[in-house]
Order: sequence, then structure tokens, then C-alpha cells
Amino acid sequence: MPQKTILIVDDSSLARMMVKNVVSQAFPQWEILEAATADDGLNKVKNQPVSAALLDFNMPGMNGIDMAAKLMELDPKISIHLVTANIQETMRQRAEAMGIGFIKKPVSKDDIVRIIGAIEGGQ
Amino acid sequence: MELSEMEQDALKEFFNMGLGVAADSLSKMVKKEILLSLPQLAVVSHREAVNLIDHKDDGKLVAVRQIFLGELCGTSLLIFPGGKSLELVRTLLGDDVPLETLTELEQDTLLDVGNVILNAFLGSFTQMMTVEFEFEAAEFLKADCESLLDISAHRLSCSQDSETDTSQAFFLMMDFKTAEDELKHNSLRGYVVLLFSKEAMVTLKREIARIIAGL
Repeated sequence: MPQKTILIVDDSSLARMMVKNVVSQAFPQWEILEAATADDGLNKVKNQPVSAALLDFNMPGMNGIDMAAKLMELDPKISIHLVTANIQETMRQRAEAMGIGFIKKPVSKDDIVRIIGAIEGGQ
Repeated sequence: MELSEMEQDALKEFFNMGLGVAADSLSKMVKKEILLSLPQLAVVSHREAVNLIDHKDDGKLVAVRQIFLGELCGTSLLIFPGGKSLELVRTLLGDDVPLETLTELEQDTLLDVGNVILNAFLGSFTQMMTVEFEFEAAEFLKADCESLLDISAHRLSCSQDSETDTSQAFFLMMDFKTAEDELKHNSLRGYVVLLFSKEAMVTLKREIARIIAGL
């Protein structure tokens, strides 16, 4: 099985550490790319294809929803999830309308197992 | 007391998580989306704290203050500039309530709303910490920016007897507004502010270190 990669984009280094920790414990075979801004994340994906992307919403510059739209243009096969503390219904609906997942911060191991498990199960 | 980059980052992220839950409560009450700013963190004097609040709002600010005491002590403020608090009361009570009645009910309504929002906020802000604290009763304040953010006017210390060094406080702030505010300027907006003394920051630094060590 070729190594798969997950992209974590969040302006908070603590938030990235928390997600990285859960991913690396549950799926040590996955490579993790991280970025503090949407622009940096998009550049990274241009250089290296990813299977999943976890995007914070509230970031300086481009937000997670706008980044998700650009990622979908780059590669519609990426499993994209908005990871946000903003748990308002409108935010969930916006994610749903775009066809991307919605995860409440702080990210749990169950969330990661569900997302990555679905990707691994689908191959 | 200096905060490392990681400690500042962690406090902002906890604040972000806190306001995310609080905004969800507020959004359900006003049936509108609440837009949130990026968190700001500063070690400030009184003057700097005043300057952090947008000065476009002349006149009185209205605030709900909730002091919390225990292993973590501090003051949380939900601040509405100018007449924005009446906008909230009108949204909650309906358009057909006369202005006089709205004004009469302003204090009680804001205390109820503030209590829900600040409890949701602090519960989420501290969700990864192991600190226990209790809330004092919510208080309604009407003051100008200078007085409201006068650090010495708030109880930041756990001990009522000890003199708190109020020359500096740690100030965390995010502002919020309803989505319509992008188009018109008469809808709801406000700020959530957390004030901590140096003493409380020692506790927060310890909690952050514990959380990071567990990752």
C-alpha cells in the first residue's frame, strides 16, 4: 500500500500539534504535512498530493472554506474536513453544502479514525 | 511575566474554542450567524486595554461581568458598545415591544444572556485544563470604556485580602457581530474580554505546560 498523506492547516501551532498527535498515534504509516496558512497549505499540495486535508476555518488571510474550494479545484479526490471551534449551524451547513466534512475542536481520536478509516476502507 | 510564543498560541486557541461555543449559544438565541474575529492577546496597562477596544463607539458601553474564583481566578466581560445591547434585547423580545419596555428589561435580559454566553465561553476555554472554579453572580455594568476597562475596578485576585498588582493584566479579546453587519451598521456586535492577573497566569502557564507535555 503506498504511503498516504494528510494535510493539517491551522494558524495555531497547538491545534496542529493536537491533530498531529492523534493522527500519528492512530495511523503512524500516514505522512503528515502541516501549514499555518491557507496559502502555504495550497503550495504544499501543489508539490505533493494528499489524500485528506483538515482545515481550520478562522485563520488570518484565506479562511478554511475558501481554501477548501481551491483544494477541490486542485484535486477533487481529496477528503476535506473543516476543523473548527465555530460550531454554529450555519457553519455546518456551509461545509455540508460544499460536500466537505465538519469536525468540532478539539479533534478527538474517533474523528480521525472515522476520516482516515473511510479513506483506507475505500481503496 | 513573559509568555512564550507557544503559551500565547495556546491561550488564543483556548479563547477561540471558548468563543466558538459561546457564539453558538448566541446564534441560537438571535437566530443569526455570529461572525468571529481572530483572538487578540496582550499584556496591557489600563491605557492599552482601553485602546484595544474600538473607539468608534462614543458614549457608554454596556457589559455583563462574570468573575470566576477558585484554582483559576479572573474577570470575564461581555461588552456591547453604544445601543447595541438594545438591539440584542429587541431581537430576543421581538420588534413589537415598546422602546420603554425594552429599556426596562435591558438589564435583566442582558444578565440572563451574559450568564449563558460567559458560562459557555469559560467552560470551553478551560475544557482541557484541570482547574476548578466557580462563578460569582453576573453583574450588569454601564460605563464608558475608560472605567469599564479600569483593571483596578475588577477583582482579578483569588484572595480578597491580598493586594493584586493591577499595573498589568493579561487581556484576551475577540469581537463578534451578526452576519448582516457586513452590509448595514445597525445590527448586533460586541466583544468578549478576559482579564487575568499575573497570579492567574502562573496557573495558566502550568496548565498549558501540562497539556503540551501530554501531546
